[in-house]
Amino acid sequence: MMQTIWFLVILLCITMYVVLDGYDLGIGIGSLFERNRASRVEAVELVATGWDGNESWLVLLAVALWGGFPLAFGAILPDLFLPLIVTLFALVLRGASVEFISQSRNPSGMWLWIFGGSSLVAAFAQGFALGNLTSPLHLVNGAYAGSAFGSFSWYSVLLGITVALGYTALGYGYIKMKTEGGLRLRAAARGSIVGLVAIVFGILSLIGINATAAPLDLSTPGRAIAFWALLVFALGGAVMAAITFGRKRTTRNADILPFGGLVLMTVAVIVAFTVARYPVIVPGLTWQAAQGPRNTMVFLLVGIGLNVPLILFYTWFAHRTFKGKRVHPHTGPAHLETAIVGSSK
Amino acid sequence: MSLTDLSRWQFAFTVMFHMTFPAITVGLSIFLSIIYAAYWRTKKPVYLQMFRFWRRIFAVGFALGVVAGAVITFQMGLNWGVFGAKTGPIIGPIIGMEVVTAFFVEAGFIGILLYGDGRVRHVTMFASTVMVSIGTILSTTWIMAANSWMQTPTGYTMQNGQFVPTDWAKTIFNPAFIWRYPHMLLAVLIAAAFFVAGLAAYYLVKKRALGFAKRSLSIALGVAAILLPLQIFVGDSTAVNVTVPYQLSKLEAWEGNWTSTSNGYTVFEIPDQAAGKNLVQITIPWLGSAIGAKDLSGNAKTPGLLLTPAADRPNMAATFWGFRAMFYGSILMFIATFASIILRLRRRLYTARWFHKFLLWTTPMGIVSILGGWTVSEAGRQPWLVFGKLTTAQGVSHLAPGELVFSVIGFMALYLALLVAYIVYVVRQVKAGPERDDPAFDPGTPPEFTPLPGDITNPMEGALAR
Repeated sequence: MMQTIWFLVILLCITMYVVLDGYDLGIGIGSLFERNRASRVEAVELVATGWDGNESWLVLLAVALWGGFPLAFGAILPDLFLPLIVTLFALVLRGASVEFISQSRNPSGMWLWIFGGSSLVAAFAQGFALGNLTSPLHLVNGAYAGSAFGSFSWYSVLLGITVALGYTALGYGYIKMKTEGGLRLRAAARGSIVGLVAIVFGILSLIGINATAAPLDLSTPGRAIAFWALLVFALGGAVMAAITFGRKRTTRNADILPFGGLVLMTVAVIVAFTVARYPVIVPGLTWQAAQGPRNTMVFLLVGIGLNVPLILFYTWFAHRTFKGKRVHPHTGPAHLETAIVGSSK
Repeated sequence: MSLTDLSRWQFAFTVMFHMTFPAITVGLSIFLSIIYAAYWRTKKPVYLQMFRFWRRIFAVGFALGVVAGAVITFQMGLNWGVFGAKTGPIIGPIIGMEVVTAFFVEAGFIGILLYGDGRVRHVTMFASTVMVSIGTILSTTWIMAANSWMQTPTGYTMQNGQFVPTDWAKTIFNPAFIWRYPHMLLAVLIAAAFFVAGLAAYYLVKKRALGFAKRSLSIALGVAAILLPLQIFVGDSTAVNVTVPYQLSKLEAWEGNWTSTSNGYTVFEIPDQAAGKNLVQITIPWLGSAIGAKDLSGNAKTPGLLLTPAADRPNMAATFWGFRAMFYGSILMFIATFASIILRLRRRLYTARWFHKFLLWTTPMGIVSILGGWTVSEAGRQPWLVFGKLTTAQGVSHLAPGELVFSVIGFMALYLALLVAYIVYVVRQVKAGPERDDPAFDPGTPPEFTPLPGDITNPMEGALAR
């Protein structure tokens, strides 16, 4: 029971991370295709207030896994060593670039390239790492005993591309919601295309996983119903985003629904994957086999579980404070803080 | 060099890089809270100027600390997977508490602290700054609880090779935590004080932004004058109450003696670990007895590392020199603090140029001392990860040599580049100076809060504004 609740907390962390840092990294990827320097700086400033909190969900995910399922933490991380190390390199560079850019009046082009490039690398490496979870884990006495490239497969590459595309679509959705002018129009045009390509790759990934060592398990009616029902939700979100993404006129729906639809789709797909794979974490290891002792579970549920509503509040608060459209920056000698307006609508 | 050594070097390097930033940002966040409160109460522009200048130094340091900290968490599984699996039931939840009570609090309010100035009300601005500093203190608390448990593990039992918690109060409030936590907290506050004092002294030397510089210097040295004497007591108590009863091998290594016959204090040495003797050594007689055992007669002998079986000995060179970095750094800071009190009483604090030049040199001394202290703490705990229970060699992940070399070289290149970038950034900010942060100097940023159309006066009302 307790480990089931804790498993749900981990699922929450994954979902929150993918949605929040997804748009965050996606904005970075999108900035690579902006020719206009001011637009690229604006993209950075769009994430400057939130990237820290968005990334905290990844750290919470790691720690929740460590405390609640220590054997999984100790075995899976070494198995995913290279893609995770590359993810960390990219996230470190990215965090540094955001602050170096937003604290500077005249940010250097180098940091802008690093911001975009590290976003792309982080997104691909995360998808790649997730893809590795379909390859069998080599364990000796419960400890990892694999080789560096042992678990890499074509599926890792496929999922890497899918995740990078999905994040980019989320990023464009967020840009369309939060900005005005040329940046918004380009996000509308590019977002529609990237979103459609991401959906195609998502479907390929969904089909492709059955050719790996960890196919989806839809053997019981409950699983199958839940899985397909969730995919219907995903389809609903995809349709919602597809219809509204390209709309140029600034209306509430045209601004919010592209991002909202993509979020709905992303969450539904994550949960659907999880339902169809439970209780396998990675071939050779289940959640039950990896769970921590009872005293730890009690502490986690009380200490951290009760904090979850609070951290959801902080996440909401940080986004709410800087809600609404951003006014175009660099309109005067003033520093960045004058450029951010809480709500202009 | 073995694969374990590679993982150790990677961890040492990444954790040192990380620690450089909290060493100043914890104190700076509290400093920012105090300055903003002063501004809010007095409405003196100089406080807003100070707030904006120090915030710029703080912002990038904070971000680097955050991202480098995330790396540490992941390394517990990546490089130390066996350690992660065995200690996860205890350390996982403690770090988890750090994430939910510190990281998310900081992340939720840092946006307002950095970008909300002039856009939100004073009370929101102040509350956000305080929340960020509370986050940094809580972060220190949990991380010290986790690391101290590795020094003096209590409140657990072993089941299937795993450390299983039996009494969380004993686990968290373990014997080392009681003393090491205040020791660390004082250290980061003092380090920030000297960082601020050193940069403020630069402007006094250059005769720039004097109002800003005097006030920053005065607050920083005032804080140091109160905390440094306290730190000497707490530091000594940590050695007496934690190291001597629980980790004597660490003390033997930092004192630098092999045999237990010396009453002196060794100020310089080059030890030969394999032979169990020192190649070169400079020792001041009597002093060891006086400092270590508080025995002024000079009769107390310092225990030597030969008392510990060869397999359980930490590396003397690392532990000794880590301790000396901390000790010599604190002596320099003590001299500076002592001089500052004398000068303040003689009303010459702002005019003694030799003193301001001296302070320039002590700018990084707090950080150096902290890094030295952590070297003592971690190198001195070897060969154990969890003292007396789990060795470092047992805890390491069995990684392929190629991937380890890639990550070690990658982190070194990345972190050296970022360290250089941060130093260049700070130097540039300092040279550009706080003049542009003076509200009177910059017409683009009004000193008083004047609501503009569409501004939120309170973020909670932002929801209604739409």
